[in-house]
Amino acid sequence: MKFLWLAWKDLLLIARDKKAFLTLILMPLLLIAILGSALGNMMKEDEDISIKKFTLGVVNLDQGQLSKVLTEEVFSKSLSKQIQVKYYQEDELNKKIKDHKLTVGIIIQDDFTASLMSGEETKVKLLSVPDTVINATIVQNVIEQFSRSIPIEAVVSQMAQPVQTGNQGGIMQEGYGKKPLLNETTIDAKTKPVSSFQYYAAAMGVMFLLMTVVQGVSTMILEKEQDVFNRLLLTNLTYPNYLLGKMLGLMIICLLQVFIIIVGTSLIFGVDWGSSVSGIVIMTFAFVVNASGLGVLAGSFIKTEKSFNVAGMFGTQIMAALGGSMVPLYVFPNWVVFITKFLPNGLALQTYLDLMSGATVSKILPAIAGSIGLGLFFFAIGLIRLSWERRGKYA
Amino acid sequence: MNMLTVQDLRKIFGKFEAVKGVSFAVEKGESYGLLGPNGAGKSTTINMITGLFPPTSGEIHIKDIDVVKNQKQAQKWIGVVPQEIALYQSMSARENLKFWGRMYDLSGSALEKSVDQVLEIIGLSERAKDKVETFSGGMKRRVNIGAAILHKPELLIMDEPTVGIDPQSRNHILETVKRLNNEGMTIIYTSHYMEEVEYLCERIGIVDHGELIASGTLSELRETIGDHSKIILAMDKERFNPEQITESLTTFFSDKDFQIQDQQVMVFHKEPQLILTDFIQSVTKTGAKITSVDIVEPNLESVFLHLTGRNLRD
Ligand SMILES: Nc1ncnc2c1ncn2[C@@H]1O[C@H](COP(=O)(O)OP(=O)(O)OP(=O)(O)O)[C@@H](O)[C@H]1O
Ligand SMILES: [Mg+2]
Repeated sequence: MKFLWLAWKDLLLIARDKKAFLTLILMPLLLIAILGSALGNMMKEDEDISIKKFTLGVVNLDQGQLSKVLTEEVFSKSLSKQIQVKYYQEDELNKKIKDHKLTVGIIIQDDFTASLMSGEETKVKLLSVPDTVINATIVQNVIEQFSRSIPIEAVVSQMAQPVQTGNQGGIMQEGYGKKPLLNETTIDAKTKPVSSFQYYAAAMGVMFLLMTVVQGVSTMILEKEQDVFNRLLLTNLTYPNYLLGKMLGLMIICLLQVFIIIVGTSLIFGVDWGSSVSGIVIMTFAFVVNASGLGVLAGSFIKTEKSFNVAGMFGTQIMAALGGSMVPLYVFPNWVVFITKFLPNGLALQTYLDLMSGATVSKILPAIAGSIGLGLFFFAIGLIRLSWERRGKYA
Repeated sequence: MNMLTVQDLRKIFGKFEAVKGVSFAVEKGESYGLLGPNGAGKSTTINMITGLFPPTSGEIHIKDIDVVKNQKQAQKWIGVVPQEIALYQSMSARENLKFWGRMYDLSGSALEKSVDQVLEIIGLSERAKDKVETFSGGMKRRVNIGAAILHKPELLIMDEPTVGIDPQSRNHILETVKRLNNEGMTIIYTSHYMEEVEYLCERIGIVDHGELIASGTLSELRETIGDHSKIILAMDKERFNPEQITESLTTFFSDKDFQIQDQQVMVFHKEPQLILTDFIQSVTKTGAKITSVDIVEPNLESVFLHLTGRNLRD
């Protein structure tokens, strides 16, 4: 029970520290403002830039009606200003895209019509050259809109949906190193697409939390050098109890910030964070366990607060970059995306995105378990390392 | 029963030996003083006794509990007043006391009662709701002490609890400690103010350079220097001639019994009343003018001077 009072004390101290409290509340709001102006400008620019007409390569393995509607009615006719459709065999399409002769291609599976009609899931393979993400995004959005409006509107011939142009294109403008020759995305026809605004809100939110955790762990190290910490050690408080209290305090702060970010972005910009409130709360909790576990691990190896701050700053940047906060995860090959799941923020971002595209708590359970498990693992190593160090001191 | 026994305690920091084999014991109900100059090793010794860090070698027992092996168990019985103020500045006195009480497993009405009592003892009931950061140095020190006695420890260990505060707060603290001791609490008190230790402690250990160079009751320690009192004459600057005074004094006293320092002339003697007139006459004979006369009973200061050849405070 003592850890509860320790956490309470930490929150009380922050609430009374005007500077810290303002940072806690103002920073997320500032972040939201930056997010808004950056993306707002980007979208305006996108409106001005007319997207060049491009050729879409289509492999249609489906014999049914719906694939015909999609390719002929939607892509060829309704979007004739933007898109020219050409039909290929599968091998041919692959080769064209590999050679950069074509920028975007789709492969419609043979169960396309049947599955959509019966309300089952189906997949359309989207192939693209990484540089032309705008094109790929248009195609992706069109297919997603299309499959969502089925089967209700299946009979109606007006299939064309307003195209959300270029949203995700903006993210891609930053340079990145080696690009895969071929970018393969599988579109799950039953999930909601995530807009760039949503992506950025989640990505920056996660980066922000990571910074808060680093900050929290660094004050923990700082506190170790203070007299109150020595006094704590002289009371009945045990070391694990102390760490528990610290983590609880940090968690509450993080949840508060997530709350501000989510409420702020959804009220001001209408960002949709998905319908699962409990999913977000649990995931945030899991993320904080994971991130602070990593923080405690790092803290156990780093002695002074100064060097931790430096390491924390670089670490945060690197992790943010790898975890998809700077460059969208879509540009990485799948195996890299898989590896980034071992980073607290990578996993959290992907899970937030899942929640945004409609996942329920039960669907993100593996991610939650993984996040908490990884956190406890880091935490345990950190504790072992700390007690080893203490025993060393006792020798 | 001994409340505390310390045997051959040593602490080496890197190559520096801060504590060099200290042994002593404190009985239940006793008040024991550790007196020594800055850097003598008092805090290092205290910190090992409270289990904050382990000794390089040696043994510490509190109520027969081995502190090195079972520090958490031993810590239950002790209250520690650290040398530095270890409080949360943006919390009020009451909030601080409540927090520290909880860390000692107090709760509910027992906690409330204890906090009220302690506030009474440290004389801050009136200011209980004010933040510690708004307090004077002396008031902070008092809260620092209060946080150590909430759980009614049997042994109270205080590390220079009166450093750098006004005389009024200091007196209040000394009286509080005396009262706690009279009520049965065992006290260990470190200081480099000999007056405090003289006032509070039944037995005293003198530490210097990591060693316990003497220990005993005040009168036992006085005896080590032969119980000499000191007469101090303060002189006017005008017509003050040290050579002439030295010459005049040698007719009465041997060289090592008197001392001339700055504008003071001092004489050491077992019975100062007997030589007072002779002393004053030999000094005024030279034409010098005396501004004041002081007779100082033998104290720990002179004991320390005698043992180390240095003053306790430099
Ligand atoms: N952690 C440490 N590492 C190295 N040396 C230390 C350490 N702690 C104390 N010392 C040294 O040990 C000696 C004794 O220090 P200590 O703090 O015990 O003295 P003290 O008697 O409490 O002095 P003061 O009256 O100034 O508080 C000093 O020379 C100090 O520099
Ligand atoms: Mg000290």
